[in-house]
Amino acid sequence: MNSTAAAPHDPASREPVYVFEVPVRVWHWLHTFSFLALAVSGYLIANPLPSIGGEASDHFLMGNIRLVHFIAAYVFAIGFAVRIYWALVGNRYARELFILPIWRGDWWCGLLHEIRFYLFLSKDTPVSLGHNPLAQVAMFLFNVLGTLFMIGTGFALYGQALGIGSWADRLFGWIIPLIGSEALVRNWHIMGMWLMLVFVIIHIYMAVRADIMGRTSSVSTIIGGWRLFRNGRR
Amino acid sequence: MTKQVTPNGFTLDDSGQRVVVDPICRIEGHLRIEVNLDENNVIRNAVSTGAMWRGLEVILKGRDPRDAWAFTERICGVCTGVHALTSVRAVEDALGIDIPANANSIRNLMLLAQHTQDHLVHFYHLHALDWVDVVSALKADPRATSELQRSISNWPKSSPGYFRDVQARLKRFVESGQLGPFSNAYWGSAAYRLPPEANLMAVTHYLEALDFQREIVKIHTIFGGRNPHPNWVVGGVPCSIDVNGDGSINMEWLNLVSSIIDQSITFIDQVYIPDLKAIASFYKDWTYGGGLSGKNLLSYGEYPDHPNDWSQANMLQPGGAILDGDLSKVHEVDVRDPEQVQEFVAHSWYSYPDEKQGLHPWDGITEPHFELGPNFKGTKTNIEQIDEGAKYSFIKAPRWRGHAMEVGPLARYVVAYARGHEEIRDQVDGLLHDLGLPLPAIFSTLGRTAARGLECSFTAHKMRYVFDQLMANLKAGDTATANMDKWEPDTWPAQTRGVGHVEAPRGALGHWIHIKDGKLENYQAVVPTTWNASPRDPAGNIGAYEAALLGTPMVDAEQPVEILRTIHSFDPCLACSTHVMAPDGEELASVKVR
Amino acid sequence: MGDQQTFYEAMREHGITRRSFLKFCSLTAAGLGMGPEFAGKIAHALETKPRTPVIWLHGLECTCCSESFIRSGHPLAADVILSMISLDYDDTLMAAAGYQAEEILEQTVQKYDGNFILACEGNPPLNEDGMYCIQGGKPYIEKLRYMASHCKAIIAWGSCASWGCVQAARPNPTRATPIHKVIHDKPIVKVPGCPPIAEVMTGVITYMVAFGELPELDRQGRPKMFYSQRLHDKCYRRPHFDAGQFVERFDDEGARKGYCLYKVGCKGPTTHNACSTVEWNGGLSWPVKSGHGCLGCAEDNFWDRGSFYSAVTNLGVTGGVEATADDIGEVLAGAAAIGVAAHAAASVVSHMKDGSKGDSSHD
Repeated sequence: MNSTAAAPHDPASREPVYVFEVPVRVWHWLHTFSFLALAVSGYLIANPLPSIGGEASDHFLMGNIRLVHFIAAYVFAIGFAVRIYWALVGNRYARELFILPIWRGDWWCGLLHEIRFYLFLSKDTPVSLGHNPLAQVAMFLFNVLGTLFMIGTGFALYGQALGIGSWADRLFGWIIPLIGSEALVRNWHIMGMWLMLVFVIIHIYMAVRADIMGRTSSVSTIIGGWRLFRNGRR
Repeated sequence: MTKQVTPNGFTLDDSGQRVVVDPICRIEGHLRIEVNLDENNVIRNAVSTGAMWRGLEVILKGRDPRDAWAFTERICGVCTGVHALTSVRAVEDALGIDIPANANSIRNLMLLAQHTQDHLVHFYHLHALDWVDVVSALKADPRATSELQRSISNWPKSSPGYFRDVQARLKRFVESGQLGPFSNAYWGSAAYRLPPEANLMAVTHYLEALDFQREIVKIHTIFGGRNPHPNWVVGGVPCSIDVNGDGSINMEWLNLVSSIIDQSITFIDQVYIPDLKAIASFYKDWTYGGGLSGKNLLSYGEYPDHPNDWSQANMLQPGGAILDGDLSKVHEVDVRDPEQVQEFVAHSWYSYPDEKQGLHPWDGITEPHFELGPNFKGTKTNIEQIDEGAKYSFIKAPRWRGHAMEVGPLARYVVAYARGHEEIRDQVDGLLHDLGLPLPAIFSTLGRTAARGLECSFTAHKMRYVFDQLMANLKAGDTATANMDKWEPDTWPAQTRGVGHVEAPRGALGHWIHIKDGKLENYQAVVPTTWNASPRDPAGNIGAYEAALLGTPMVDAEQPVEILRTIHSFDPCLACSTHVMAPDGEELASVKVR
Repeated sequence: MGDQQTFYEAMREHGITRRSFLKFCSLTAAGLGMGPEFAGKIAHALETKPRTPVIWLHGLECTCCSESFIRSGHPLAADVILSMISLDYDDTLMAAAGYQAEEILEQTVQKYDGNFILACEGNPPLNEDGMYCIQGGKPYIEKLRYMASHCKAIIAWGSCASWGCVQAARPNPTRATPIHKVIHDKPIVKVPGCPPIAEVMTGVITYMVAFGELPELDRQGRPKMFYSQRLHDKCYRRPHFDAGQFVERFDDEGARKGYCLYKVGCKGPTTHNACSTVEWNGGLSWPVKSGHGCLGCAEDNFWDRGSFYSAVTNLGVTGGVEATADDIGEVLAGAAAIGVAAHAAASVVSHMKDGSKGDSSHD
């Protein structure tokens, strides 16, 4: 059984498939590194390094950490916007992240199968061209919604520094009363970072594991774009 | 009941006309008083009902003990800071934290400043209108007012022109038809006895005091960042001192504190005290309102001279308890002794497993139980008359060794007097001599008001003493303001109990806490207004407000001037008498605080 | 009302010259952050309007707002009360009591229906049929609703009226509820803070009296002139924050040097108030200046945001989650790492079992 039954390509043919186009791959790594920069700088904004002495005018440590955070935030946000654009014009796999085909019965079957597989209840290795249904759910919840949440809350907070009436305040300021207060938005922004980090850990593990144990390539796919197939038990 | 004698010696008779005063205004919070008058309009029964609850103690459960001061500070914004101080003292007691000498001095300064400002505001803005007829001031001769002013004080604002201006301002105000806070009051009542000139002088000082009180609290602003609700910290005070630096308290700020102290002493001694004497001299024969003051009084003692020493010998204003009016014996008070301070709820809107028993605050239970007695009149949400035979107040009934006690400035003064405190004896004897009154005259409404005034002067002068102490310590090279050794919860014992007490402007205040695994397990506050406004206890002892109202004749049953006068003399603070309640009657167990 | 004085008349009658009056107007304009051209508008407004009646109600509260109000230095509280507004009801200050006091409410409704300002300090509790706050034998909420239905606009003084404040902190045993959640049909100005700064309070009421309208409000209903910026953004210790110079614990070297209080829990970075600009008690100082971090007292439900002494606080989840985002996050990330390692180990074991049966999943 395979999970993307509607795929035009039959995985059984074991021919390589071009899955991730260049913009998707570039975005993946921009997204990754900007997230890491955001996570580290964000953590240090919330939990600053030990105090330093001397004249205040001689140092700009926190200022620079915040600068890194804001630059990375723009890369993160603009990259995501471009990625959404690419979802509209790119290939079918470019859209997988954003649309969960919950209206399709076989997708649900695939999801169930994936869950059984990772709980060692099923020995059949699932095969997917793009993302498998479980990965798709995780991607959608933690990466797509997570990224949107982080961009929204982040710029809402940024808008408070820019001031009332600034672009960030006008676009995202409504999030603060929606969540309750700025402190709460800030704390959930931090929580969002942790949740995305959890996703990153599992995502890397799954990708490496699939490379080693699965029947399709994964790490090399996000670098080169081609999904390769190995022989597998059906 | 028609007529009965309470165990603490008061005769109650509820047969006559019932008069309800609700709300009692010019107090903090919401209080209802009901009295019965006999055929001569003399009060023969009195009922005090605390009419608000906020539940801060249950809110504190499970919180960080280091944060508790901020919560408890919000118990009251009028006597701001006193609950915060009590709270940090309780936490320090529980954790065994000694505070630095500078922190002790700064805390004393802040508390003294609070007393000074609070007493001043109480006298002029919450209490004076019970004695002073604002409208009568319009009839005053400014020249005679000036002469009166100059005869009693050196206060420079005393020219006839000055009083004429104030009078003109007042006249225009009254004639505008918009009387604002003076609307619908009891002007012209025979209960007011001051001549117009004294009324004009007092009204003038009402405005001056409103302006000046802002200055006193700046001491809080310097050390605690603002007022109301300055900041405190467990282990000391949050401000640092670097006399030579520009990043914390330095010489300029210390000079400002010193200057405020000087101004305060001048204002209190040249305006408040002379006004107090002048007003009192016209009401000398209005000797009502003594109540419990001639019998049972309680004070914990305040202003530790040296840090971390809670013995009465170390207190600038020593405390203790007086029973049955016997000034020859001051009983020592131990707030940790389960037999001494206890709270009862037989007549309070709470329930205990056994309501005949009192509970020490460390073992305190607070389960709300709002229930009107069988003889109340009205509906649940429209109470026309309270039934004092049943539960009738949101205030518990605290007792010391089973006795209802009065607390406050008068209690502190009588206890210190009985202990032979020289300064306080001189003050009291001096005032009584000037008014030509014997010592027992202080056991009255007027005595309460007078003690508050004397104490205001005492605290203003003590600020100078404590400030000099602080400067001497700084000169000796000690600049520490906080002890952070036990700041981190991993340095704390798994379980500990503590108690903190403060003499707040309104009287004896204590917080009893229980810390478990770094969190507050139980928090109970027994506050001054809980003592004074307490309802009856299971034995039938009445509280201080109720006792003080008995025997007072009213000039006009429709105009509660005399009731206000006596109740105001206690300076009620109803938000303070806060206790715990549950979300609703059915889920009491979920918020049970033990 | 023929006998109603305008504010200008009142001031003239109190011996204030026209010149001083105009100076007052320009100071007021400057105090409200407006240009000199507004001084004329204020003067005109004050010359022509009778003193606006203000009904000041008290619910569950600690009265710190009233106390703060009387600390106002410009304008003086006495001048506000006697000359600028007509404070017809305020149970903390008024001379009358009992039914004479309550009568004033009815008189006001009759005389000034739709034309008085309702100033609310504290909030109504809704549990026990509102009887956790009884006034005149009735629940406070009744009085609030009645007066609100006849007023022109409402000022919600302080964090109690604006957000709920301390009595509404978890578990909010009385169900203390902020004004905007019980009154829906009147304009409300929130003036949060526990308490608000005196000059902020008098500034708001002066504006309303002078202009006859609400000041410009932000998204959450707070006057922009006082609440549009975070304390942090105008904090005089900000250079120390940017430099990375922090107080690590109270009374350390950094504390004496006046370093940033962020690491000892200052909530300035998430608190909108005018403390760092207007400052307290006549512009003398404010919490950060005195050495203690900001508690965030002007922010919604600041009591339930966790420790006042930690930079990262909790998530406001009901049900007693005290942990901060970092606590939870570290646990989750740790659990994920352990989970991944365990899953990897299990995979290897499973794979080897399969392998021993000579049936590899990939070959």
